[in-house]
Amino acid sequence: MDLLLFSERSIWTMVHGIALGGGALMGLFAALYSLHAMGADGVPDAEMGRQARKLAQLTVIIAGLLWLTVMVGTYISFPPYRAAPPEGLLDLSQYPRALIRSNPDTGWLHSFAMEIKEHVPWIAAMLATAVAFVAVRYQAQLLRDRVLRRMATTLLAICFLLVSFVSLLGVFINKVAPLE
Amino acid sequence: MESTAYRNDASPNGAALAAFLGAGIGAFAMGFVIILNELGVFTPPTLYAPSGGVTGRTALAAALWLIAWAVLHHRWKGRHVAPGRVAVWMTVLIALGLVLSFPPVWALIS
Repeated sequence: MDLLLFSERSIWTMVHGIALGGGALMGLFAALYSLHAMGADGVPDAEMGRQARKLAQLTVIIAGLLWLTVMVGTYISFPPYRAAPPEGLLDLSQYPRALIRSNPDTGWLHSFAMEIKEHVPWIAAMLATAVAFVAVRYQAQLLRDRVLRRMATTLLAICFLLVSFVSLLGVFINKVAPLE
Repeated sequence: MESTAYRNDASPNGAALAAFLGAGIGAFAMGFVIILNELGVFTPPTLYAPSGGVTGRTALAAALWLIAWAVLHHRWKGRHVAPGRVAVWMTVLIALGLVLSFPPVWALIS
């Protein structure tokens, strides 16, 4: 018996939201903690260099995950979400945007939540890329220079908040109108 | 921003600050492109029809980000740049970009 546990659309939704977005969120938390914990006064140069390399690797992974998240979201998951249903169709379960907009109580999930999800993750990807570039180029100087470190921490904290927020909005949308 | 750049004995931080300020410009570009689209002033061409206009808006903002970053990097790399004003501008631009990306603001403006 053929049992299709997940459709291709739902698999891409999980790749987008859980594997890539969730991975980026965990990476952001780890990077923020690392910036807080690494490079304490008195750490030998060799150890500082090793810590900086690990941090640089982590930030590159975060930036990569965020770019993959926005690309998959924009170019793979979004088209079936916004597909227009045939005229007169009563069952809108395969057309998430139309389903959400058909009910006044859930209309905000498109006009507010999805509109934010369309654009704000791109900002997070830009911020993470800037931090990854600095972490790779400056290595231990990023940990030693308090100003650079504070600016990198600020950008990653903003990233973390933005990704958390859009992830939550994605959960709300997927709860009401999942891509199945 | 040229006035904030100078050469001295401190370690060069220009490339880092160029990346950070470039990210702020990118965030603002995203909000600015969205608002221009919402006001009907300028609608970037759609790059991928199944995804709609978001592909043009995000691609244009990303292109502006990369251009701004490249210009700043070219001017500041190898220099030590005073970080204070750069940090303020970065924060302000990110905040503006996020505010302009917030749908209730579109309704207020348009």
